[in-house]
Amino acid sequence: MRNDLRLARLLVAGSDRREWWRITLTAIGALLATGFALAAVVLGALRGHHPLGIAHGLFDNPGERQGVVISLLLLLVPVFGFLGQCARIGAVHRDRRLAGLRLAGATPAQVRRIAAVEAGLTCLAGSAVATVFSVLLLVLNWSVPSGYAWAGIAVVALGVPVAGMLVSVLALRRVVASPLGWVRRVRPQTRPGPLFLVALVLFTGVAAVAYVSMADHRGRGAVLSGPLLVFAVLLVTGAAALWLVGATARLTGRLLAARTGRPAVLIAAERLRDDPWAAARTHAAVLLVTAVATAFAGIRQVLLEVLDSQKHLGASRAFYTTGIDLTAVAIGVALVITLSGLAVGTAESLATRRRGLAAQVAAGVPRAVLGRALLLETALPLAPAVLLAGLGGMAVGTGYAALTDDGGSRSVPWAALLVPLAVYAACLLAAATSLPLLRRSVRPGELRYA
Amino acid sequence: MTADNSTAPLLAARGLVKAHGRTEALRGVSVELAAGEILAVTGPSGSGKSTLLHCLAGIVRPDRGAITYGGERIDQLPEARLSELRRTEFGVVFQFGQLIPELTALDNVALPLLLAGRGRTEARASAGEWLERFGVRGQQELRPGELSGGQAQRVALARALVTGPEVVFADEPTGALDSLAGEQVMTALAHAARESGTSVLLITHDARIAAYADREVILRDGAEVAEGADAVEVSR
Repeated sequence: MRNDLRLARLLVAGSDRREWWRITLTAIGALLATGFALAAVVLGALRGHHPLGIAHGLFDNPGERQGVVISLLLLLVPVFGFLGQCARIGAVHRDRRLAGLRLAGATPAQVRRIAAVEAGLTCLAGSAVATVFSVLLLVLNWSVPSGYAWAGIAVVALGVPVAGMLVSVLALRRVVASPLGWVRRVRPQTRPGPLFLVALVLFTGVAAVAYVSMADHRGRGAVLSGPLLVFAVLLVTGAAALWLVGATARLTGRLLAARTGRPAVLIAAERLRDDPWAAARTHAAVLLVTAVATAFAGIRQVLLEVLDSQKHLGASRAFYTTGIDLTAVAIGVALVITLSGLAVGTAESLATRRRGLAAQVAAGVPRAVLGRALLLETALPLAPAVLLAGLGGMAVGTGYAALTDDGGSRSVPWAALLVPLAVYAACLLAAATSLPLLRRSVRPGELRYA
Repeated sequence: MTADNSTAPLLAARGLVKAHGRTEALRGVSVELAAGEILAVTGPSGSGKSTLLHCLAGIVRPDRGAITYGGERIDQLPEARLSELRRTEFGVVFQFGQLIPELTALDNVALPLLLAGRGRTEARASAGEWLERFGVRGQQELRPGELSGGQAQRVALARALVTGPEVVFADEPTGALDSLAGEQVMTALAHAARESGTSVLLITHDARIAAYADREVILRDGAEVAEGADAVEVSR
């Protein structure tokens, strides 16, 4: 193990610029994950009424705090998606390095261990920064933190690097490094794996339970079963949209590749047809955020209408609007993280193919064609999936409006439909941030080396 | 067939100088390529062969010197015009990597025609004919990863020739192949070039591959050390 650590340290120290990008972004991802998780455990460690004096008293009572904790934990979903993308930057270089290790006599298990230790060290750096900052903040604002808080901090600070190591091992499960010095990536399945199907069945089960629960308690129990139903519907929508990305990517690719006469569309369509699930993995977090953001936009409109119609509120109006605004901020942060992951994924895709792209440009293929193909690879599979996720979110918003409608005056939150459009446009912009990299990626120098 | 050298060269370079950082890859190289000629540029690794090809094909600009194609200076053309030139007048074949891995062999060959604005049906028909000529029609629906090295290089040759270029630049086209596959590829290239009157600039360090050429130029340390019959003598 000591040798593995030493080798991992040497490999990190000797990394080139692209590797440092991966290391820095991975550390930032670990920092965000640790930050959100620490905030969640510290808030979760508070017991009973605890006046914090922030956000109009929104964090003072256990009920609201629980909602904030759940929101913080949900933010970990896009953060982990971002971390997954970061792990893929420079994968080609890393894979070659792994082959070099095998050639030097390392066993497959050693290679995986070294890669995992390397990822763990990177995550530890991000986690340490977030932990030190959080502890300082905690000590300054909370004179005697509880034992639960300290225990939670320790678990998170160590848990994030361990999670990073596990993710690294998971990412390497399809990489076979040969002692002869070559590396090959075992092609992923062309359809959803058993784990995905089991998860989908589970989600559907949760939805069914929620529905039955609501039916049993129609009336007084609807308030309790409502959030569960919302959660289940969101999960089913997200899972279905994820599956749809792959299915429509393959169908779109097949249909367009057979008919198009445009080179950019042909290149994008064939890439989708060749590996439709690569796009599904990248876009999963986008679809979940789209569904949540669309649903929230609808719910927000309804909540504000309810607030406006109430003559007597249990607390100040600012208390409620602050909660709504904080939720909006959380969703906005999730969207930014997700879009960052998408941009990183697109850049990684360019970096991986740079030698082939350089050869295309050398053979006279205009950079504009390659740039359009790059954008279409994002635009084509996302269009139907974002639409479905948006409709799912819209259904939740509309359903919530119907649930809270006591006099038939509640309007349908049509404005929420703008959310998927905005997310789609933002995704294209995020993908377009890689276009400047195209010029640098297709340098003739790439033609000189294998 | 030997090219007629009495006419003006189709492609000519005078005093080319090109440095990669502090390393001078080319130090005043001059070379000419006649219409229909197959010219081999040979030399050891690091002698500047590939850099010379990149300069002549307009992939990189020389630091000094001049390149003319059909009497026109091309080393100062804007990138868009150079790109068009490479797409229409030139064909390029590398050791590997020039085929798009996600496209079928047929679509890879049809791509330059689609880029030139030809219709899909017409482009695929022409591509099919070229694949037929190179004996890989049966593999037209396969992707590059599913082809053998020799088949992939023949598809690459078809792609380089499908637009009817005046010059084909081939950078170690058989470098990744065994000798039998290499010979098959070179035979196909030389035959197609002579049949269509296309000039070929062939980069190689293999004397057997250079033997397919009408003429040979040897580079060493970025400078031309021998040409023609002298080159054969130096090779020995």
